[in-house]
Amino acid sequence: MALDKVSLFCFLASYTVALALELSQFVRRGLVAQMATMLFGLAGFIAHTSYLLARSQQHDLPPLLSSTHDWMLVSAWLTMALYLGIQLWNPRLSIGIFSLPLVLILVGIAPFTSRTPIPQVFQMRWWTMFHAASYSLGIVGVLLALLVSLMFLIQHYRLKNKQSEPLSLHLFSLERLARLNWWLIVVSVPLQTVGMVTGLYMIHLSKSGNHPVDLMSITVGLNATVWIVMALLFGWILGAKNTAGRIVAWRTIVSCLYMMLTLAVLLIGQQDAIHTPVPQPPPDTQGGGA
Amino acid sequence: MNVQVIYCNHQSADLAVREKLAFPSTESLQRAYEELRQRFPRSEHVVISTCNRVELYVAQEDPADSPTHQQLAEFFSEFHHVPLESLMEEMLDFQGPDAVRHLFEVASSIDSMVLGESQIVQQIKSAYEVAMQSSSLGPLTNALFQRAIAVSGRVRTETKLSEGKVSIASVAVGEFGKSIFDRFDNKTVLVVGAGEMATETLVYLRGEGVQDVLVCNRSLDRAKRLANEFSGQAKSWEELNACLVAADVIVCTTGAERPVLTREMMKTVRKQTGTKPLFLLDLGAPRDVETSVGNLDDGIFLYDIDDLEATCERNRKKRSQEIQKARVIIEEETARFMQDVYHKATGPIVKRLRENWEEISRQELEILYRKLPDLEEQERQAIEKSIYRIVNKLLHPPLETLRDEARTGTPHGMIDAIKRLFQLRD
Repeated sequence: MALDKVSLFCFLASYTVALALELSQFVRRGLVAQMATMLFGLAGFIAHTSYLLARSQQHDLPPLLSSTHDWMLVSAWLTMALYLGIQLWNPRLSIGIFSLPLVLILVGIAPFTSRTPIPQVFQMRWWTMFHAASYSLGIVGVLLALLVSLMFLIQHYRLKNKQSEPLSLHLFSLERLARLNWWLIVVSVPLQTVGMVTGLYMIHLSKSGNHPVDLMSITVGLNATVWIVMALLFGWILGAKNTAGRIVAWRTIVSCLYMMLTLAVLLIGQQDAIHTPVPQPPPDTQGGGA
Repeated sequence: MNVQVIYCNHQSADLAVREKLAFPSTESLQRAYEELRQRFPRSEHVVISTCNRVELYVAQEDPADSPTHQQLAEFFSEFHHVPLESLMEEMLDFQGPDAVRHLFEVASSIDSMVLGESQIVQQIKSAYEVAMQSSSLGPLTNALFQRAIAVSGRVRTETKLSEGKVSIASVAVGEFGKSIFDRFDNKTVLVVGAGEMATETLVYLRGEGVQDVLVCNRSLDRAKRLANEFSGQAKSWEELNACLVAADVIVCTTGAERPVLTREMMKTVRKQTGTKPLFLLDLGAPRDVETSVGNLDDGIFLYDIDDLEATCERNRKKRSQEIQKARVIIEEETARFMQDVYHKATGPIVKRLRENWEEISRQELEILYRKLPDLEEQERQAIEKSIYRIVNKLLHPPLETLRDEARTGTPHGMIDAIKRLFQLRD
């Protein structure tokens, strides 16, 4: 199949079937269903990769930079890659029921976001790349921390209530989940900070360009509050010793939900004053930035 | 002859009931045997008391001497100071072949919470030894327990019941411990108590990579013996609090009649350790850890024997085919044992009948030899052979009928008829 023939629907459908099969394991666990989940996941992942490559060729830009649509799909792609990797390493783990819904949400939202490359990318390509890469990876890391925290709470609840492990819900140990959560926050928040700082620098640079951005815009303000919340979580996690893992998990979830809510508000309310698309710029403006 | 058992186990009664009825130490068992001898002097007794079961086996030569369910329940009630009414429903009983089958199932671990566990055989052997030392064992219980141990061996050899997770420790660590901790080689394990269960738990934990082992016991000598076996450190009872602070995994297996880890103790410990994860395994019956300890904070994960029930049930379902195979063996062995018992019951009458007839033959031969003093030795031998052949042929039909009757139960009616027909005295 030619790369440009792959549509978003192809991998969205594959991932949906994979999730349905994953959920069916709660009713009846079997090797066939497990294998089929992996196959549909893998098929979707291949289609997903092809789609991103096609998008990249179309705009002659790395997938992460093209548009909000693309970075949503890159985030979903990263989550999917991680899911498939873990599942291949340990097929018994029930990671799919946590990661597949997140992937589906990201892929499902993608069609409603802008597909046009953001204006700054042509003026400050490398700065934009650095900004988008760090900010997106930071957000993916925080989203994964949310999933890990959910797994922690479920595992903790089961162990506290002395319930036997269901065959269809085999999770990492509390010790490993707590460690994963710690590392995800400790790595993601600095990445978000880098993204935030580079973003502010780009706003500063934009003042002298064709598309100036207002520092006092709602987008900047809301993103700043997200960063403050995440920075507080980061500081607390680093400073807190002997804190129960359950409290860490709850605080991570609350912070992540705040981040998700803010991003959703920006998306739904079309308040993204920074990443607003503009008509295709003239070719001689490309290659600017650092 | 009669065998009966009155029991409560993990299927019939909660740990809260079992721990009240348990005989946690040899001393309490010996006191129980004294009491039983006074109450039922014509019976043989064996008590099996483990964390999952309390069983009393009673056997008598004469079934008329068998105590009733009520009388046996009264013994438990008065010995443990537990109201009789609360016991009557919790305690089950079996008689005759059902009691024998039950013991064989227990010994083969079919009836155990952890299917295929080997510890139960050791526990039965030690119950048998204590009964022997207390002079409570008799010919019937002796034969029964010897056979139970043999049946257990046969089941283990001929089925795959002993494969996989076959100890309480393995189930507890496999099901819960590994969901709390990723690895055990960097954890400190404290074992409180130094009994058989402690050894078994340490064997399993050692297999999981545990290196830092602390053994704390009231008897420091026993703690040292166990600690040496696992390259651990023995700690005196006075050092218990310090050990609790250091431990990530605590396994309690004492035979204490009251909890050794109280809420207050653990509260003090947690003030020093914070809320770090603590895997607390209470394998004692009566329980060694106050149940409220589990609610002290989010980091304490406390499990007792009953909490492992669901997992064990799942393992049991997985191995139902092996259970079937074991049941066939047990059924066969029960029938064989009962036949032996019934056969033994007819033994004295057969012996007396044979002796009686042989005596009559000898008397008649003496009279004959006096009348015929010139008989050659060869002729005498020929006559004796003929007489004994006649006696055997005459005895064969009644004895064969008796043996046939004894295949399904003690043939009391037939024994009485033979006694009356041939005028045999007791």
